[in-house]
Amino acid sequence: MKNFSHLLVKEIKELLNKQLIISLAMMLLIFSFIGNVTKKEMKKAISKQKLAVLDLDRSDLSRNLIGTLNMANFIIEEQSGEKEEVIQKLQQTDLGVLVVIPPGFSQEVSNFKPVEVETYSYLRGISISGTRTSEVVKALLDTTNDFLSNQYLKKRLPDINPAEIKSPIKNREFIIVKDRMAEGSSAAVIGTLYMQSFLLPIILMMIIMYSSQMVITAIAMEKQNKTLETLLTVPISRQAIAMAKMLAAGLVGLLSAAIYLYGFQMAFSFPTNELSSATGGLAPILKQLGLTIDTQGYVLFGLSLFLAILCALSIATILGVLAEDYRTAQSLNIPLVFLILVPYFISLFADINTMSLPAKIVVLAIPFSHPFFAMQNMMFGHMSMFWLGLVYNLVFVTVMLIWTARIFATDRVLTMKLKWGKKKVVL
Amino acid sequence: MAVLEVEGLKKNYGQLEALKGVNFKVDQGEIFGLIGPNGAGKTTTLRIIATLLTPSAGRVTFMGFDLKKNPEKFREKISYLPEEAGAYRNMRGQDYLEFMARFYASNQEEVKEYVSRGQQISDLGARLKDKVGTYSKGMTRKLLLARALMTRPALAILDEPTSGLDVINSLEVREIIKRFAREGVSVLLSSHNMLEVEFLSDRVALIDRGQILDGGSPQQLKDKYQAPNLEIVFKNSVRSNLS
Repeated sequence: MKNFSHLLVKEIKELLNKQLIISLAMMLLIFSFIGNVTKKEMKKAISKQKLAVLDLDRSDLSRNLIGTLNMANFIIEEQSGEKEEVIQKLQQTDLGVLVVIPPGFSQEVSNFKPVEVETYSYLRGISISGTRTSEVVKALLDTTNDFLSNQYLKKRLPDINPAEIKSPIKNREFIIVKDRMAEGSSAAVIGTLYMQSFLLPIILMMIIMYSSQMVITAIAMEKQNKTLETLLTVPISRQAIAMAKMLAAGLVGLLSAAIYLYGFQMAFSFPTNELSSATGGLAPILKQLGLTIDTQGYVLFGLSLFLAILCALSIATILGVLAEDYRTAQSLNIPLVFLILVPYFISLFADINTMSLPAKIVVLAIPFSHPFFAMQNMMFGHMSMFWLGLVYNLVFVTVMLIWTARIFATDRVLTMKLKWGKKKVVL
Repeated sequence: MAVLEVEGLKKNYGQLEALKGVNFKVDQGEIFGLIGPNGAGKTTTLRIIATLLTPSAGRVTFMGFDLKKNPEKFREKISYLPEEAGAYRNMRGQDYLEFMARFYASNQEEVKEYVSRGQQISDLGARLKDKVGTYSKGMTRKLLLARALMTRPALAILDEPTSGLDVINSLEVREIIKRFAREGVSVLLSSHNMLEVEFLSDRVALIDRGQILDGGSPQQLKDKYQAPNLEIVFKNSVRSNLS
């Protein structure tokens, strides 16, 4: 045990070298910069929009319209003078939209005739806040039309609420998950679940990918630097050597993934935060539908993830033994990365439960797939799928660990090589 | 008294018979040299005794322990210096010695003792504070030799110990090996530099194509084959075996 912990510390130190620390620090800086810029742009995009209004009618109705716009989340900057002059003048400001209320506006509305309200959008770039201009114009037209139609209806039918005429049908929406039912918007629930879980596949992918990459590299570097032979003759069991490498890679992989995730959240957390505050009211609905994960669920998910990491590490360890040097190790890691990417993309863009049986079998045969679908399986009550995945991974990892231990206990750790030229494995 | 006994040692790599029944014994404090050309089976023999490879047949015992049954006991008593060895490039020389010492030491005092001895053997002085990646091939070799001997193993297995060293350093290393043998360390070494083996070894075995051709002290062999040095001994031995 003393020698194992001694070796483990060395392995961690080797992996957690200056290059890795610098690259992680650089990545944090870059994500922090991206986060700052993105947040500023997003804040601009969702903040109250400034609107320039040129009222050429100057009637009570046009004043009412401006008042309505003011209440509808716009900051109004009223303009005066000739239309062309105002259009030119606003070029020099940061105002994005100009609304021109034409002369005779009130008269035309009173006669129930369509009125043309001109809007001028100033495009000054293609940033997120810049793309808001069209949304502003649309919101402006909706608000204006709503205001005007209300005016018409009030004039014609003074005793009836205009909103009841415009929307005579009210919708009560219910969501059913298995045997549970709750009232609420299905789009909002799906949107919330998606936004809350979109980081999960990324974290899983990074943890598994980092860990496997590290263990392959660690073993290949021992071979390349000719240190493996010496290490194999010191008084420590071969299994302990393999386990120390796997554990160190797992820990450093976990740390790197955590730092990446932190950086990722710094850069892209804004929409999620906004969404969670905006959809705070959905929490009881999610709970009612059983779409939340309790402590036991998180423990089971952790178990699924742990087994998947062990699967990746054991495969990577064997690949590392096959590699003669660092360069070969990188090539050998590519198929493993592709195997990790399959469940990653499927979890993002498809539903495993609605896939055809052969496709499902192929995806679920990949041991890393199971934690990607574990949360979904638990939430939607597909517990048999979850347990099957857990048992499959347990069997897989047991077989792989026994194989890894055997390879390390025999000559194969030194003699097993993948010969690219002859395309065969020499055992 | 023999501490290492090798009997009928065979090793096959697929169809290739690398060792065809090797026998020899090494006494305590003795320097035993295996000499032969490249591909003769020297390194395979050393690797089996160092527990890196498993024999296809035969028996190796060291201080009463059977290699097949107790490889871990072997590892506690032996130290192996491979021909093409390296040290961790990101470690400082000093840290490398300490890292290796901890596997053998039972307490901190022993670690200090081993490291101090390693510093003396390596003779690298202040350079031990530099990373191994900055060392020349010769410096690395001295560090590795220091690592192999600092724990005073019961058996030091040295494969081409002076490989990559210049004349001065080679002479120093040979003196160090002799000194440790005088202090009771048994040494099993291999080299294709037969003059070096002649200088160092108390007894030698001539190995070719996986078989021991002959063995004895360098002087006995020179007398037997009426040769001025071991190179001629080896040549005559191969010729007489072929005939």
